[in-house]
Amino acid sequence: MLRFWKRRAKIGVLTEDKPYAQEMAAIRKEIKSRVHKHFAGSLAIRMVDSGSCNACEAECNALSNPYYNLESLGIYFVASPRHADLLLLSGVVTSNMLPHLLDAYAQIPEPKWVVTIGDCPLMQAPFEKSFAIAGPASAHLPVAYHISGCPPSPDEIIKGLLGFLRTL
Amino acid sequence: MSTAAMERKRLIARYAIEHEENLEVVTCFEGETRRQQLSKVAPRVETLSHVHPAAIWFERKMHEDFGIEIEGAFDTRPLAHHETIAYQCHPMRKHRTDTTVETVTHRSYDYETVEGEGVFQVGVGPIHAGIIEPGHFHFSQAGEEMLHLEVRHFYKYRAIEKMLEGKTLWEAKPIIERISGNASIAYQLCWRDIVVQSSGAILPEAARRYHAMLLELERAIHHLTDVGFIPNDAGFAAALAFASTLAEDARRQMQVLSAHRFGFGAIDFESKTFDSRQMRAWLKRLEEQVEQFHTWIGDIPSLWDRLDGTGILPYAKAVKYDCVGVVARASGVKLDRRDNDFYRAHGFLFQREKSGDVAARFKLRLAELRNSIEMMHHFADDSSWRCEILQPLRDGEYTAYCESALGELFMTITLKGGRIERCFVRDPSFVNWQALHLMMSGNIIADFPLINKSCDLSYAGNDL
Repeated sequence: MLRFWKRRAKIGVLTEDKPYAQEMAAIRKEIKSRVHKHFAGSLAIRMVDSGSCNACEAECNALSNPYYNLESLGIYFVASPRHADLLLLSGVVTSNMLPHLLDAYAQIPEPKWVVTIGDCPLMQAPFEKSFAIAGPASAHLPVAYHISGCPPSPDEIIKGLLGFLRTL
Repeated sequence: MSTAAMERKRLIARYAIEHEENLEVVTCFEGETRRQQLSKVAPRVETLSHVHPAAIWFERKMHEDFGIEIEGAFDTRPLAHHETIAYQCHPMRKHRTDTTVETVTHRSYDYETVEGEGVFQVGVGPIHAGIIEPGHFHFSQAGEEMLHLEVRHFYKYRAIEKMLEGKTLWEAKPIIERISGNASIAYQLCWRDIVVQSSGAILPEAARRYHAMLLELERAIHHLTDVGFIPNDAGFAAALAFASTLAEDARRQMQVLSAHRFGFGAIDFESKTFDSRQMRAWLKRLEEQVEQFHTWIGDIPSLWDRLDGTGILPYAKAVKYDCVGVVARASGVKLDRRDNDFYRAHGFLFQREKSGDVAARFKLRLAELRNSIEMMHHFADDSSWRCEILQPLRDGEYTAYCESALGELFMTITLKGGRIERCFVRDPSFVNWQALHLMMSGNIIADFPLINKSCDLSYAGNDL
């Protein structure tokens, strides 16, 4: 056990690094202050996948790894829409997911926002309109902001969240 | 043992193709493909589900896609066509276009349940408590103990098979590589093999090495993610914190090699240059970190107490349900598409476990991860190569396999006039999901996430 803690101390803090460090540090600082101003220091996100390829989910999961450490900015993903401020939507909005998506949105208390992520919700990914796809998302929900990319990298998602916060 | 069981071959896929005159049902077994021609008027075919339980999803899909009656089936409920898609609309029939498929407001679905005094139902999903893909799990519970689980999926059903029809292989590529994001390289390799077969080209050894390296990197990312998430689901979050940094490093390495974090667009017929010294240096560092992780994680008894003996899939059942990938190998099944001369020459060692529980799947992932690192050392060859694809591609029916991080991926494409006439994909998860309920008996519902994560199955690839 002691060996483990020794090694742990050697590794140190991994959060943030490398070329974009300065730019990201400024972005993170601004996010933190805006989350503090608009959401009393905590912005709760409920992510809903409405038919993605799962890459957007993987990138959102990566936001929690020690490099990005999103929670340190006061932003976290919550288990229930009833705890959320924001619905983060990925995927093409399949016909099979549409009723469940609307249900989740209805469960979020006011005030609430919808932010779409990836090219799918705008129907700009290579997937074409088919009978099984009810997208674009804006036909069903009031979309406040869009984070583009296929998929957007964790850095792009962080920048996108700042973009959203700036609209408030 | 009955003769049927003795002659039993592993079922890989079962699907239908519409021809001008008739419908054809193709059933792929290991080493044998059977074809049945059916009339377009009242088509019927006999079920295989009594010998191969995993045939039932294939058959339910075939029924709703083409209107083929399945004789003797024990389950005739719709599969991918949920409450709002009209019953019996058979969208895969050629005369159907997207706009002619009707929708309805609601059509209820009868779940498979266990009834009895004190037995209650728990429905979970499609939206889960976390950043996860959508799917529904329906439990029949006696207190904490799970009596039965029905997995209901296809919430992500995008009708991709239909979407691909009429496209050239090049037009189809951006869609195929996005069927399942975390297995994109594997999907692209099946696409590559189909292009190679239909053009008669010969892929140089150096190209195969480079592509195989990307596939092993994809597998490494997948396993690194899982060896973090599995302990996390048993309440040991430190493992996730450590492994997720390694997974992120690997993802960044994918970006370095292919200019995309998931390798979208990475597989084609152009030689790429990359810095093999940088690659080897990263591999060496990863190897050390994985060793570190292994010694640390191996010595936490309270964690192994949760993993050992949880969610057992016995060997006989893994065979009966035609399981593939880590799920099959953790139960002792000898099945890996990489078990061939090419891979063995590059350091491949077949890995399997016996106990079939969460611990077995966890240990197997670690073992495969180390072997992938070893193989990537062999594959990291930066010599340039040339491969010319002669157009036009020859029409015909082509089949490709790839051992993705999740297991054996099967893809078949029929080309007609240079365009896709029919494409059928069987994601490894399509068979493994059907075996998930077998791992539940004797376990409590709180262990479901742990068992589910240890299998780490794909929703996007399964739902298509």
